[in-house]
Amino acid sequence: MGSEMTFYENLSQRGVSRRDFLKFCGSTAAVLGLSSTFVPTLASKIAGAAESGLTPAIWLSGGKCTGCLESTLQATYPNVADIVLDLLTLKYSAASMATGKYALDAKKKVYQGNKPFIMIYEGAIMEGENGSGYTMINADGTNSLDDLEAAASSDQCAAIIAMGQCAVDGGWVRAFPNPSGATGMSEYLSRRGIDVPVVNLAGCPASPEELTAVVVQALLLGSDGTLESGIAAVAADLDRLGRPKYLYNATIHDSCPRRGHFENGEFVYRYGSEEEAKNFCVYPMGCKGPQTYRRCPMIRWNDSQSWCVESGGVCIGCATWNWVDNNAPFAGRHRRVGAASSGPLAGWPLHGGGLHPIGTGAALTGVVAAALVAHGLGMKAAKRIGKNATLKTEEMKEYDAKRLKKQGGAN
Amino acid sequence: MATPNITMDPITRIEGQLAVQAVAENGVITDAWAVSKLFRGIEVVLKGRAPEDAFYVTQRMCGVCPTSHGHASSMATEAVDPSFELPNGARIVRNILEGAEWLHSHIFHFYALAALDYVNPAKALQANIADTYALAMEQGIGTADFGAVQARLAKLVEGGDLSIFTNGWWGIDPVANPEEADELYNPDIPAELHLIGVSQYLQGLEMQAVAAQIISIIGGKFPMPMTSVAGGTAWMPRADKLDDCLFRLKEVTAFVDNHMIPFTLAIAPYYLNELTYGQGVKNFLSWGAFDRSTRRIEDRYLPGGFIKAADGLTNVNRPMVEHVTEDVSRSWYDQESGQRFTESETTIVTGSDFSQDLDGQYSWGKAPRYQRDPMEAGPLARVIVAYMDQASASNATVREAVDGALAVLGLDDPTILVSTLGRVAARNIETAVAAKWAAEWVDELVVELRTGRAEFWAPYNSSNGEGTGTWEAPRGGLAHHIKTSNGRITDYQLVTPSTWILSPRSDDGVRGPLEEALVGTPIRDIEKPIEAARVVRSFDP
Amino acid sequence: MPGKMVKESTHPLFVFTHWTNALAMLFLTISGLYIAFPIVGGLMGIARGTHFFWMFVLLINIIIRIIGMFTIKTCCEQGTREKDWDYKNWLPQKTNRHQMWPMVKYYLFFKKDYPITAKYAGLQKLAYWLSIVLTFAVAYTGFAIWGPTQDWWIFRIGNEIVGSLFGFGGGDGLMPMRLIHHWIMWFILIFTCIHGYLSLIYGTKACKMIFLYKED
Repeated sequence: MGSEMTFYENLSQRGVSRRDFLKFCGSTAAVLGLSSTFVPTLASKIAGAAESGLTPAIWLSGGKCTGCLESTLQATYPNVADIVLDLLTLKYSAASMATGKYALDAKKKVYQGNKPFIMIYEGAIMEGENGSGYTMINADGTNSLDDLEAAASSDQCAAIIAMGQCAVDGGWVRAFPNPSGATGMSEYLSRRGIDVPVVNLAGCPASPEELTAVVVQALLLGSDGTLESGIAAVAADLDRLGRPKYLYNATIHDSCPRRGHFENGEFVYRYGSEEEAKNFCVYPMGCKGPQTYRRCPMIRWNDSQSWCVESGGVCIGCATWNWVDNNAPFAGRHRRVGAASSGPLAGWPLHGGGLHPIGTGAALTGVVAAALVAHGLGMKAAKRIGKNATLKTEEMKEYDAKRLKKQGGAN
Repeated sequence: MATPNITMDPITRIEGQLAVQAVAENGVITDAWAVSKLFRGIEVVLKGRAPEDAFYVTQRMCGVCPTSHGHASSMATEAVDPSFELPNGARIVRNILEGAEWLHSHIFHFYALAALDYVNPAKALQANIADTYALAMEQGIGTADFGAVQARLAKLVEGGDLSIFTNGWWGIDPVANPEEADELYNPDIPAELHLIGVSQYLQGLEMQAVAAQIISIIGGKFPMPMTSVAGGTAWMPRADKLDDCLFRLKEVTAFVDNHMIPFTLAIAPYYLNELTYGQGVKNFLSWGAFDRSTRRIEDRYLPGGFIKAADGLTNVNRPMVEHVTEDVSRSWYDQESGQRFTESETTIVTGSDFSQDLDGQYSWGKAPRYQRDPMEAGPLARVIVAYMDQASASNATVREAVDGALAVLGLDDPTILVSTLGRVAARNIETAVAAKWAAEWVDELVVELRTGRAEFWAPYNSSNGEGTGTWEAPRGGLAHHIKTSNGRITDYQLVTPSTWILSPRSDDGVRGPLEEALVGTPIRDIEKPIEAARVVRSFDP
Repeated sequence: MPGKMVKESTHPLFVFTHWTNALAMLFLTISGLYIAFPIVGGLMGIARGTHFFWMFVLLINIIIRIIGMFTIKTCCEQGTREKDWDYKNWLPQKTNRHQMWPMVKYYLFFKKDYPITAKYAGLQKLAYWLSIVLTFAVAYTGFAIWGPTQDWWIFRIGNEIVGSLFGFGGGDGLMPMRLIHHWIMWFILIFTCIHGYLSLIYGTKACKMIFLYKED
C-alpha cells in the first residue's frame, strides 16, 4: 500500500488525477477485452510495476516515415500513457538525446546487458538487391539489417513488437514492384532463423492504444507476473497474422457508427454532398471497412477525437496485409484480382490492370450468350433444329460401333 | 579530399535517416557531406495506380508532415484537369488542417527534436524553484509546476536510469561531471532557465498532441489524415466540430505566445554566437502555403517566391517548377543527371556496394537545383521571402513579428536570421504567425458556412494529362508532379524539403544547403560535435 | 428431344425445387448485385434481407433436392416408364455410358447424328453436378463473408486459405473471398444461360416437363 501512495503522489506531480488514471486503466482494459471488474487489479498492477524496476526497451527503425513514433506520441491521456510506457525505459529511439556513436553505444549497452529487453521496430525491413540490405548503410559499412540482427539475436531480446504495417509485412513499401525489397519482421526473422516472439501491431500507423495494451499485457498480465510469462500470454493470444486477437477480431464495418445508414441504404455518392453532411455510409466511395479487421470505431484516434470514417473519409484498409496492393484503387469498392506481390499467385494476372469481377464476369457471360446465339444459328444451318430439321439420333453408340468393328476385325 | 574526422551516424531527433560526415581543421568544419540513408521508392510504387490513390500513398512519405504531402498530391491530381476550381469551403478547410499541421510539427520539432541541444536537463536539477518562478515572471514566460518537473527529473537521475536521455551528453556523465557536461551548452545559462526549458519540453509534447487533435477532428486521425482528397475535402464542417477545433487552436496559440516565444527569446541571447555561422547557401525557395481565394502562389498567406544571394536578399522572384532540375551523379540513381524534375524518373544504380563513397555516390537524396543553384527550403526561406516580398498581403504581419522578435534581442537587421540560431527563431516566429492565421481561418469558414452555399468538393477529371502541386510542408517546399494516361499514373515525382535541404553535391561539385551550412561551423571538440548537430537540427531535416 | 420421344415424367417435388432454385438464383443475383454496387440509395436493407432470405431458401431447397435423389423414383431410361431411384440419373447409366465425348463432338459440329442418351445426357449430368457444387461453393463463400458467420472456424479456415493464395499473408481473406463469391455467381449465370438455351433449342417439349412434371 505504501508503494501505491508514492505512485499516486508521483501521478499528481505529473498533473494526473487518480480518476484520470483509473479512466485510463478502464480504457486499456476495454482494449484488452477485459471486463471492467478487472480495472482495479490492472490499476494496482501498473502502480506496483511502476515502483519495481523498469524493463528496458529499444525502438529501432527500418524503412519508416516516423509515423508510428509520431502516432505513439499522440497517446490518449498522454501523461498516463507516459507512465505505462515509462514501465519501459526507452534506451534508444529516433527521439533519444544521444547522437552518432553515443546513440549506438546506448543501444549496444541494452542488448549486451543482463536484463531482458523489448524491441519495438518501426518501418519495413528492406533487403534491397538480393537481400544485401542496400539502403541505410552506416558510415562503418554495416547496414540496418546488421543492426536488426544484432538486436534480435541478442540473448536478452525477449520480444519484438512490430509497430505498424511496414514492420508487420513491409507495408506500402513492399507494394508492387517492391523497389527496395521490403518485407516484414516475422517473415525476415524466420528466414534468418532467429527465434524471438513477434507481436504484430497492424495498421498504418499503429495506434498508441494498441501499443499500450500490448505493453500492459506483456509486462503485467503474465501468469506469474514475470516478463517471460507476460510475453507467453501475449504470444498465446495472437491470430494467424501474429496480431493480438483482441485488437483485430472485428471488422471496421461491424462496429461502424455509420452502419445504421448502411443497413438503411443511406449512402454518400459524392464528397461534399448533403449525404456526407448527414454522415451517411461511405461504402459506395470505396470504404474498405467491411473487409478490414481493426477496432478504429471503438478505440478511435488522437485521444478519441475522431477516426477516418467519422471525419468523412473512407477506410482504406491500412491494417490489411500488403494493404496498398490489396486495397487500391482506394476509391473503388472492389479490389481487382491480381497485383499481389506475394503468395502463390503473385503478380497474376496483371499488375494494375487486373480482373474486376463485375466487368470481366459480365463480359464473360456476354461472350457465352453470344456464342450460344451463334451456336443456335449453326444448329439451324445444319438443319438440326427448326421447321426443316432433319436430325436423326444415331443408330448405335460410337463406342459400341468401334468395339464391334474391333471385334469384327479380330474375327 | 581530406578524410572526414567527424561522423554523426545516425543523427537522432530528426524525421528520417540521416548521417553527416565532416572534416574539421583547427576547430572549424571545412567540408561536409549529408548522407540521406533511406530509399523506399514511392515514385515507383505509384506507377500504374489510380491518380486519386496518390493522396493516400504519398502521405506515407513523412509521418510528421503527412498532411502537407496529401495536400500537394491532391493539388497535383486536380491540376491535371485545367477546368477544375477548388471550392472555397475546401480551400479554407485545407488551410485550417495545414495550419494545425504546422503548429504540431513546429512545436514537435522545437521541443522534442531541437530543444535538447540547447537545454541541459541535468543542470535543471540545480535550479531553485522560487528563482525559477521569478525568472519566468521576469521574462514573461508562462509558468508550470516547476517543482514537479524537477522532482520527476530527480527521480530519473536517482534511479540511475536516464531513459531517452541516456548518453545524451556525448559520452560525459552529467551526474559525475556536471560542469564538463554543461560545457556543451553555454555555462552562463542559469539552471532556472534550463528547468523552464525542460518543463516546456514536457508541455510541448502535450501541445503537439493537442495540435494534432485538430488534424484528427478534421482528418480523422493523425498521422495520415484522410479527408483532403483530390477535389476538395471529405470533411463537412459542423458548428460543434469547429468549436472543438477553435478551442484547441486557442490552447495551442496561448502556449506558443506565452511559453514558446518568450522562452525562445530568453534563451537566444546565450547562443548569439550561432548567428555567425550556419548561413548555408543563402538561396531561398518557398512555393508558398495557405491559399487565399485567388489560389495564386504569390497571394498565399506565406507567399511563393525565391531569393538568390547573388541577386541580393531583398530581391524576390516567383518560382516555376520548370526551373527545378535534379542532379544525380553523387546519388545512387542511374538516370540522366540534370533532368527537369517533371521529366525525371527514378532508376536505382545496379552493381554498386552502396557504401558512403564521399568522392563518388554517397546519398539516396537527389540534388535538386533551381536554375542550377542549391536552395534552402523551410521556415527561414518562407519568412525571408514573406519579409522581403513587399507585394504580399502578409508582408506587414510577418515584418511585425520578425522585427518585434529582433528588437527584443537588440537586433535590427533581418538578414541576421540567415544563421543557425536565426533558422530556429524563424521557425518559432512562423509558428506564432500561423497560429494567429489559423484562428482567422476558422472565422472565415464560419462566414462561408453562413452563406448557405458553401461547397467542399467538386468533380475533376484526372485521367489524362499532367499536373503539379506546389505547396509547403512545415519543414519546407514541396512539389508533386503527376502524369496520367487512361486513368492510371504513368509517372509520379516529388521534390521534398529533405531533398532540397539534404541535397548532396551537384554534378559540378557544389554543396547542398546543409553541407554548405556546416562549413565554417566552429567545433570545440571533434568527439562531441554538438555545434554541428545544432546546425543540422536547425533545418528540421 | 429429337428421335423417339418417350413419355418421361419428373416428380412434382423436383418441379418445385427446380423453380424454387431458379427463383432463388434470380433474387440472389439481383439483390447481390445491388449489395455490391448500390447505385441508388435506399434499398440496402431490402436487398440484404432479400439476399439472406433467399440464401436460406436456396440452401434448404438444394438439400431437399439431394434427399429427393435417394428417396424418390423417376424414369431413368428412354422408351420406358420404368422408374428407379433418381440418383441413378446423375450417375453414368448403361444407355449413355461412353457418350460424353460424342456429345461434345455433336455440339461442336464434328458429329452429324444425335448421340443416344438416357434421360440426361453425359454432359448434362456433369453440368448438373457442377451446379450443385457451385451452389454449395457460393453458399460457403457467402457465409465466409457474412458478419455473423465469418468467424466460425470452418469459414475462418477458408478465409485464411484464400488469404494466403491471394497475397493477404494467410489471414483476412474477406476481399478475395468476396470476389470468388462474385465469380461463382457469374459461373452460375453462365450455367443458366446454357441450360436455358439447350432446354429450349429443340422446342418446348423438354421445357414443358419441368412445368408439368409429366408429358401429355
